[in-house]
Amino acid sequence: MPQPPRPIDAEKAGPFPPDLHDVRHLRLKAGLLLLWALVSFVATYFARDLEFLVVAGWPLGYWIAAQGAVVVFIGIVVAYGWAMNRFERQDAERAASAAAGEADRRHG
Amino acid sequence: MAEPGSFSPAGPERPSSGPAYLWRLHRILALYIVGVVGFLALMTWAEYQGLSRHWIGPIFLFLTVMVYAGIGVYGRTTDPEEYYVAGRRIPPLYNGMAAAADWMSAASFISLSGALYLQGFSGTPEQAGGLAYLLGWTGGFCLVAMLIAPHLRAMGLYTVPEFFHVRFGGRWPRVIAALAAVLCSFTYVVAQIYGVGLIASRLTGVQFEIGIMLGLGGVLLCSFLGGMRAITWTQVAQYVVLLLAFLIPVSWLAYKQLGNPLAPLVYGEQISKIAGLEAQLLDSPAEYQVVQTYLRRAQDYEARLTDVEGALEREREKGRERIRALRAQGADVGLIVSASRDLAALPRDAATARERWTREMRENYERARPLGGLPRHSQAYAGDPHGTPEEQRDYDLTRRNFLALMFCLMVGTAGLPHLLTRYYTSPTVLGARASVAWSLFFIALLYLSAPALAVLVKFEVMQNLVGSSFDQLPNWMAQWARVDSSLLSVEDVNGDGIVQFGEIRLGADLIMLATPELGGLPYVVSGLVAAGGLAAALSTADGLLLTISNAMVRDLYFSDAQRKASPEQRVILTKFTLLAVALSAAFVAALKPSEILPMVSASFSLAASAFVPAMVLGIFWRGTTREGAVAGMLVGLGVTVYYMLSHVFALRALLPPWLLADGLWFGIQPISAGVFGVPAGAVVAIVVSWITRPAPELPRIRSEM
Repeated sequence: MPQPPRPIDAEKAGPFPPDLHDVRHLRLKAGLLLLWALVSFVATYFARDLEFLVVAGWPLGYWIAAQGAVVVFIGIVVAYGWAMNRFERQDAERAASAAAGEADRRHG
Repeated sequence: MAEPGSFSPAGPERPSSGPAYLWRLHRILALYIVGVVGFLALMTWAEYQGLSRHWIGPIFLFLTVMVYAGIGVYGRTTDPEEYYVAGRRIPPLYNGMAAAADWMSAASFISLSGALYLQGFSGTPEQAGGLAYLLGWTGGFCLVAMLIAPHLRAMGLYTVPEFFHVRFGGRWPRVIAALAAVLCSFTYVVAQIYGVGLIASRLTGVQFEIGIMLGLGGVLLCSFLGGMRAITWTQVAQYVVLLLAFLIPVSWLAYKQLGNPLAPLVYGEQISKIAGLEAQLLDSPAEYQVVQTYLRRAQDYEARLTDVEGALEREREKGRERIRALRAQGADVGLIVSASRDLAALPRDAATARERWTREMRENYERARPLGGLPRHSQAYAGDPHGTPEEQRDYDLTRRNFLALMFCLMVGTAGLPHLLTRYYTSPTVLGARASVAWSLFFIALLYLSAPALAVLVKFEVMQNLVGSSFDQLPNWMAQWARVDSSLLSVEDVNGDGIVQFGEIRLGADLIMLATPELGGLPYVVSGLVAAGGLAAALSTADGLLLTISNAMVRDLYFSDAQRKASPEQRVILTKFTLLAVALSAAFVAALKPSEILPMVSASFSLAASAFVPAMVLGIFWRGTTREGAVAGMLVGLGVTVYYMLSHVFALRALLPPWLLADGLWFGIQPISAGVFGVPAGAVVAIVVSWITRPAPELPRIRSEM
């Protein structure tokens, strides 16, 4: 994976603006953050209304806050890691094939 | 808890990556777990053979601390790369474990189940909590994973304030960030050391202050010599202890009550049973008597408060009268002594009397509510959305405070420096993302069981303790009451000789520690739970102390370019700063400033408002300027600190009223002050950045970070 060209001693580097973020990454983050807000803030906001739904012995509002949300959080973090690795692999492959194409042209 | 050497970190001469390294770590971890389990079995056998309880507690305390210290000494280093970021080669699985131990503090281990027991789903309008802690302390990791950790890791830094230096340049962003890091970490570490003192004094029977000093020795042995490298491996060892210490009693209780040790899956059944028991208790005449008695006491205090001087004089006269009467009767000397002690214990002047009686009145009013003031366990939010205006207001306030607290804890997670530096130790950016996922997984193992424990304990109390006779109260209750009467008190208020639910008062910090005794488990499990609480407090205290001393030395002292020192000298200076910080934290903790949870929540609000707006903007918006970041941090922190301090009772009396916040803003409790600080900081940072924006420059594009 591409390591950014930072000096070993970061203290000696001057101020720098962050690099532009890939749009795919931003979309992924936005989507997952939306899901995050839904299970945490929206679901608990309506917890009292969900209380009367009892699923398998659990009052739904309580279950979401005590277990469901935590499971979704884990899902979000894992999905993010998986998707980012995939994006990076794709980028690396594309860069490799582009470099190979470049080399072919030069030899041909 | 096997021999100390059995869990050793990789030395610098070992291969630091590749499958051989990983397998070696796995092997050591497996051996260590076997050692811990074997030790437990041995202790159980010894207890069965008649080993005295006086020995079990100290053995657990001493051996675990020795193991951590052994790892700490083995991992000693003066190499800066090792000292500050553990050589950046901790595999994600182990980094996750270490982060989980770092994260789960005394507040999680000791107080979380207690808070869930006392507050049910959401707490009361005056004190929101309950599941907000659980959601806040897990949900924040989504923010860490997506917005912060990989980006910081990619920059190759050593401390969190360094980010502000590298991103914005100049001296002030870093200095402010370092001061904020010290502020919030210090609040946090005081709470941890308080927890250490609590456990050590219960386990060994020594005084609270000596307990603090004992625990402190353990912390220092781990972090003083080896910095991040030693801390990482002690934290892994501590995670194993604290996980076992939490899961064994929960599984035992679940097995006892439900016949299935997998508590998180099955405790739903008990929730409805508790709802039934609660309904019974609400109808019980004996409980009603208890409530009436507390109400009378509260009204008595209220009457005294209308004329403090006169009431104080009357109380004194009553005391003197009683002593005279006793003397006249020629009563027992003991009685006379205790009567004069009561007289001497009366408040010395009107101001103290007013403060103490106000507190007593409030406490009695609180306990004069049905169910001893505890909300119904599974009901979301107090009050009733369709009830009287009063009930509607309660409902609305509880829900608002619940969401606000959750917000502060989540955002605070993304800003707490001691957690973020953990992800600096991972070898790659990819590793940092995986580390966050592992951390959340290891944390969830415990957090999914915490509400289960609260429910099971509540059922145990309601089913078995309530209705038993006062003569047959178990021993452990008296022992805990002796450590600190605010932790546990049982009083036969209505004088019928039978325990009512309203007569028991359990402190949040007690419930986890007393669970094994409550459930009738062998005493070894009590020792293990205490060792787990100690591990949780020590691991967090280690990480926090390192963060504070690094911030002070690297970011405050050496951020000035004129100070020249070799990297080794810096490390040595950091070590001695750590020592000084640890001692002053112990000093503050010995004053018993407050309960664990409120202190910890306050430091989350501080971290959230100081770091997160400027950090997220700095990472995602190129237009953030140095001036904007500085203004955002200062305003965010300022608003939060101001709102918190203006509700501190002692300060309200000192400062002129026009300086203080005018009551509660939107009814939000001061503990969630970050809910104002974060948006204020973000808005100010954006506006100031926009005003001070430089001329546009050409962008560069790169995939991530």
